[in-house]
Amino acid sequence: MLADRPFRTLLKREILRFMRVWMQTVVPTLGTSVLYLVVFGLALGTRIREVSGVPYLEYILPGIALMNLVTGAHMNSSWSVFDAKRERYIDEVLISPMSDLQITLAYTLGGTLRGMLMGLGVLLVGVPFVGLHIEHPLLLVLIGALSAFIFSALGTAAGALATRIDHISLLTNVVIQPLAFLGGVFYSVDMLPQALKVATMLNPIFHTVDAARYAILGISDLNPYPTVGIVFLLAILALGAAWLAISRGPNLRY
Amino acid sequence: MGEAALRIENLRKTYPGGLLALGGVSLTVEAGRFFGLLGPNGAGKTTLINSVVGLARPDGGRVEVFGRDAFRQFREARRMIGVSAQEINLDKFLTVEETLLYHAGYFGVPKKKARDRAEELLERFALAGKRKDRVNTLSGGMKRRVMFARALMHNPRLLFLDEPTAGVDLELRYSLWEYIRELNRGGLTILLTTHYLEEAEELCEEIALISGGRIADQGTTEELKRKYGASDLEEVYLKVVHDAR
Repeated sequence: MLADRPFRTLLKREILRFMRVWMQTVVPTLGTSVLYLVVFGLALGTRIREVSGVPYLEYILPGIALMNLVTGAHMNSSWSVFDAKRERYIDEVLISPMSDLQITLAYTLGGTLRGMLMGLGVLLVGVPFVGLHIEHPLLLVLIGALSAFIFSALGTAAGALATRIDHISLLTNVVIQPLAFLGGVFYSVDMLPQALKVATMLNPIFHTVDAARYAILGISDLNPYPTVGIVFLLAILALGAAWLAISRGPNLRY
Repeated sequence: MGEAALRIENLRKTYPGGLLALGGVSLTVEAGRFFGLLGPNGAGKTTLINSVVGLARPDGGRVEVFGRDAFRQFREARRMIGVSAQEINLDKFLTVEETLLYHAGYFGVPKKKARDRAEELLERFALAGKRKDRVNTLSGGMKRRVMFARALMHNPRLLFLDEPTAGVDLELRYSLWEYIRELNRGGLTILLTTHYLEEAEELCEEIALISGGRIADQGTTEELKRKYGASDLEEVYLKVVHDAR
């Protein structure tokens, strides 16, 4: 199914799309990350110094990378699907011999790659600030790929379900951004009052940020391995939702 | 009777909200035919085409494309169909050449074959000079030509042309007519929907008139003219569509 030429062509098109508009897709994200590193790391970092025994800048870098990975992944697929639907060129894909699952996977994997590229970019941008040392590289790739996949699949679903532009921005501004900011990127969960601690545990981004931090620095609030299992399960659920949205979403196959 | 390129039986579709688009349409288009589907706006022409290619979900009925079930064997069926839609729907991120090559990829055409075919169609539609241009920078007539070339990229056996000459200047219209006639002579089955009755009269061997989601009548232009005592297709059209209402 994944070796099928139609599927590979759509995935290639998805990659071509974000590479072609790299000034919109790649540059701003990396620029914002540098700002985060400067403001939170260098400015505030001189006051905070260490969290969990690690210099503050090093502590926040994995989370910033993951935050960018998540937003990059879901923005890519949601806009790609929504644009294609709004201008009707998605019809070309819908009348092709591809199954709905193949279409869903192609859009979702395109966003996954974009997300991973963003995450990697942030880590590279961080090299001059904190150097490059990764404790568990394989775990990092696994957690990065699964997190990007989950949020890209949600983006695919959002793009397929949206009938207006504000539906897409609603997902970004009301769901993804708050979850990302409250996902323990800038602090350890131990620093929070009990009620917020419980709320944070329900935030999937917190779990992935924590696991990414373990993979890079070897420290975390939780044991990262059960997180991999949870994230895997979430990836399957998100794919199911995206598949359903592509097959049944409004203004697709009516 | 020859092989059927398209066989539709009792196709039904009601849109959510209660609008009846297809009220049990049955239609057979023989292989190699130049077939016209005429009817007023909202008669069900586009819904019929969309139901065959999977863009609309019919409530019931059967569709076969060269003997393949369009729903259960959708991969085989869709590979044999080319569609030039009524509205321009080109991928704005692609150039003219990429539009053709990616389309071929979506339909599983091997790379080398796709490149050769793209060359041929770029030449045929006088698009070679624009191959590196993004499609959203082209004029309306050029976009129409790209849509046409794209529909032919995977060498379909059945071509749906949904209002292909809407908004096209006279010169392009005549050159498109000439080309689709040539394609039809080469064995391609064509199903054309159009509002221009002289276009249908000029091109189509057989015509079905659709009104209110039902086939009101069907036959060759001559048969229909004789049956309705009409001097041209326009008269037939007005009588049939009026009677059906």
